[in-house]
Amino acid sequence: MTQTKKPKPGAKDAKSNSTLWWILGGIVGLGLIVALAVSIAGEEPVDETSGFGDPTVTGDPLPVYAAGQEDVSVGLTAPTVEGADWEGNPVTIEADGTPKIVIFLAHWCPHCQAEVPVIQEWINDGNLPDTVELVSVVTGTDRLRPNWPPQDWLEEEGWTPPVIMDDEITTVAVNYGMSSTPMFVVLDGDNTNLGRITGELPTDALDQLVQIAEASIEG
Amino acid sequence: MSVETILVFNNLFAILTLVAGAGAIGLLVYRAVNGPEAAALLGDKAIWLAFAVALVATVGSLLYSEAFHYVPCRLCWFQRIAMYPLAILLLVGAIRREAVVKFYALPLALIGLAVSIYHNFVQFFPSLEGGSCDPEVPCSARSIEMFGFMDLPFMAGIGFIVISVLLAFYTKVSE
Repeated sequence: MTQTKKPKPGAKDAKSNSTLWWILGGIVGLGLIVALAVSIAGEEPVDETSGFGDPTVTGDPLPVYAAGQEDVSVGLTAPTVEGADWEGNPVTIEADGTPKIVIFLAHWCPHCQAEVPVIQEWINDGNLPDTVELVSVVTGTDRLRPNWPPQDWLEEEGWTPPVIMDDEITTVAVNYGMSSTPMFVVLDGDNTNLGRITGELPTDALDQLVQIAEASIEG
Repeated sequence: MSVETILVFNNLFAILTLVAGAGAIGLLVYRAVNGPEAAALLGDKAIWLAFAVALVATVGSLLYSEAFHYVPCRLCWFQRIAMYPLAILLLVGAIRREAVVKFYALPLALIGLAVSIYHNFVQFFPSLEGGSCDPEVPCSARSIEMFGFMDLPFMAGIGFIVISVLLAFYTKVSE
């Protein structure tokens, strides 16, 4: 004769109660977490316009730069840019007779974050001659990405070069054929493109960019 | 989707990650103190909790790409490949109460964890993935940064860890 083992009275109820408590605990816990998330998010400033400018670009755009390859747009005239920094001070990239190195930066890009202090120290050490101007363009600004707003980042780094704040559709970057950040563009005094390069550059490479720019004066 | 809404979800997932991570640590400590008997703490609920983690991770991942329009980078895709099937596998395993599901789920979780670790490593050492940032989807750049250190791959990594720990607990109960 076989006997079936009967469950203890109330065992099933106890299991149901246990499950119910787990579910209730989960709902309450999730509710608390949601409330906390809303509370924290409400404390963060949301000024979506901060970090953007309203630059004007005139002239034919440069083709997109293919990183690691020879720049096919060398010899073409780069577009003229009339923009401003975050305080509204006007900054231009134009054929004013002064060779320029233009650097495109994105606040969220770790390579830009690494490059900015390198460049600033290089400038502080007196490596940027008066005959060459270095202009930066802040582009790709995104409120939801880290290190926003870009002006706070640059101020923290003690960034001294003039800055043009690009707009939301990255007009300046598109017109200069930017494919990645950081991107350097060397221009002669007539705004002719002498070469573009992307990525973090060591100081000796920055010296070479200056030499290319200065050579355009002598040439 | 407004910036305010996305910020709420960023915080929500960040807090959930911290809570889940703390829970996993708590389970491991409990296991270390109580020995094999510790598995009885969760019973069969371990697999349901693992499913919940995989479900939240999957829904969160889809939310960021489809609703918030974040484009997943290459390494994000590898983690998705590991996480998405986990949500289905763990649900079926939980419903059928099949301990064998661990043999399918745990390798996926560990592979996903390995990719997450590498992705986090790349974000700390960006030069591993080249010297510049693709404007759209660089794996080396953080999409978000919560509490000063937490990005999506970090959240995914914690998710894989929590699922692995819960599966380990579930294994003990089933055997």
